[in-house]
Amino acid sequence: MAQNALVIDGIGVDFSGFKAVDGFSTVIEEGEVRVLLGANGAGKTTLMDLISGKTKSTEGSVHLFGREITNLEEHQIAQAGVGRKFQIPSVFRDLTVRENLIVACARQPSVLGNLRLRRNAAERRRFDEVVELTALGDVLDRVAGVLSHGQTQWLELGMLIGQGARVMLLDEPTAGMTVGETMKTAALINRLRGDYTMLVVEHDMAFVREIASKITVMHLGKHLAEGRVEQIEQNPAVREAYLGSGGIH
Amino acid sequence: MKLRLTTRGALEAAAYGTFILVILLLPTVADVFWLNRFAKYLVYGMLGIAVALSWGYAGVLNLGQGLFFGLGAYMVAMTLKLQSETSMQQGADTPIPDFMAWNSQPGALKDLCCIAPGSWLWIPFQSQAFGIAMVLLVPTAVAFLIGWSIFRLRISGVFISIITLALVLLVRLLIVDWQPVTNGFNGLTDLGWLTFGGFEFDPYVVPTYYLVAFGTVAVLLLTRLLVATRAGLVLQATRDDANRARYLGYDVARYQVFFFTVSGLIAGIAGAFYVIASEFASPTFLDLTFSVSMVVWAAVGGRNSLLGACIGAILINTIQATVSESEMLAEAWKAIIGLIFVLVVLFLPRGIAGLARDIAMRLAALLGRGTPAAQPLQKSE
Ligand SMILES: Nc1ncnc2c1ncn2[C@@H]1O[C@H](COP(=O)(O)OP(=O)(O)OP(=O)(O)O)[C@@H](O)[C@H]1O
Ligand SMILES: [Mg+2]
Repeated sequence: MAQNALVIDGIGVDFSGFKAVDGFSTVIEEGEVRVLLGANGAGKTTLMDLISGKTKSTEGSVHLFGREITNLEEHQIAQAGVGRKFQIPSVFRDLTVRENLIVACARQPSVLGNLRLRRNAAERRRFDEVVELTALGDVLDRVAGVLSHGQTQWLELGMLIGQGARVMLLDEPTAGMTVGETMKTAALINRLRGDYTMLVVEHDMAFVREIASKITVMHLGKHLAEGRVEQIEQNPAVREAYLGSGGIH
Repeated sequence: MKLRLTTRGALEAAAYGTFILVILLLPTVADVFWLNRFAKYLVYGMLGIAVALSWGYAGVLNLGQGLFFGLGAYMVAMTLKLQSETSMQQGADTPIPDFMAWNSQPGALKDLCCIAPGSWLWIPFQSQAFGIAMVLLVPTAVAFLIGWSIFRLRISGVFISIITLALVLLVRLLIVDWQPVTNGFNGLTDLGWLTFGGFEFDPYVVPTYYLVAFGTVAVLLLTRLLVATRAGLVLQATRDDANRARYLGYDVARYQVFFFTVSGLIAGIAGAFYVIASEFASPTFLDLTFSVSMVVWAAVGGRNSLLGACIGAILINTIQATVSESEMLAEAWKAIIGLIFVLVVLFLPRGIAGLARDIAMRLAALLGRGTPAAQPLQKSE
């Protein structure tokens, strides 16, 4: 049986009276691709903020492969194995693609440990693997700031692979992408399936059907439903919650 | 990893090589008075490097770089003051700075231990080795403490500039106010010479120029090496997007503190060299205008280039010294340099270095037409 990668237990945050995430729980198994659905403002991004340490929770806990990571510092959570892709893609815009990936692939977080010019074999292997997966080989010497939107998204995804994240939090990885780019991203995620555990926020149902092992629906900061794609599409509570925003399409 | 020798890399190496060659060969054409002047400009060049490291590479605009320069200067000036013959000949049995003797209460014991409250701090500076150790230690420690407080709290942007600016003015005030120990406004003058193995570094001899020149070259090359390391790359990453770096697992504050401290150390070393070449230390080193000038030099030279910022500082000061020979030009110069600064910020954000790089790359492309412009020289590790 697969191990539990991420166990979220009753997590919540109180923004001076407003509970953006409220007692949310779910368990994600190792290798699973979990899609998180929810209307705008449901609290999806905030949930990722809570897992990754950007926002400190006021209740509940998060465990990563059995180790508690609740409210640790961002870099500690990252070192523990959580990678995060932002809703607005964020890469090091003044560095080249190569440099972006080198920074991501360094296996050594400390300053003194990084006072060296060369990469070790493990880092080089990881770098080559990422370049192959993301197909960024042709643009390695370009400055990241001039990449196309799709390439920027893949670079950021590549950085998560490079950093050795075992659990990836992907916030709308296909936002703003063309249909072709979206399909390429789906293919990439499917290649990573099994080796990495992913929690993906996504609105595009075609994409969701392509990648999801299981779907969790969030509504007003709370856990509303969870199940396979067909189950969720049939679920009356989900339909109800989505009526205001046009339903699932 | 493949070592790539690109056109860009080759041009950079050529620029560094030319610069180093020029400053090392200068004594063949310049007399000692001119060399002494130029040694001070090299010190300003070091300050340009310190500013480029912190502003260009870390994205931290420190408006109080003069604080570290001043600390380094005072540390070496204290030890050199105690080497000075005239300072000691004030009728005391042990060396005492002249100003302490002049200012002392009638009947006070003429000894460093108790001639003035706090004068005992001078005692260990009787050893020149101690003074030099303090040049390295004090600016580093102070920079570390300031950096630690700022970056742990995730203070960024203009707030860092305001805090560092306030700090340099605060320390300046302390030095001026602590007259019995620091000689206040007048600073430390009439210093002795740095002495190594019997050799005295008289500011007006060629070896003293070489001392400063080698110091500058060492600082330039070591800093260039430092930013080329993985840590230097991570630093630039934190400048572009601190959060992205955090979510990759880097403790961003540690990188910022480390390089802020290195930048402070460089400024401290520069301060010490300045004292050796100019034979005085003064609270004006901590004037706001001086710290702002450093930023202007780096901006004009190119804040993203260590060499550019270094040359910017040297160039501006050389021109300034030339025009200030005539009084009318000296006044106009302030306006001119202000104008140049504004123009550079508006139209040449990468400064002279960026402009030179673009021109050189274009020339290289023209000359090398037919062969690929960037020829990767594949050399395995
Ligand atoms: N720091 C904060 N302080 C107060 N309220 C906040 C804060 N962060 C988020 N919120 C609120 O929490 C709610 C959930 O926001 P969140 O960004 O998590 O939604 P989302 O599900 O990601 O929406 P979208 O689909 O638009 O990205 C919103 O109403 C938002 O305004
Ligand atoms: Mg969101």
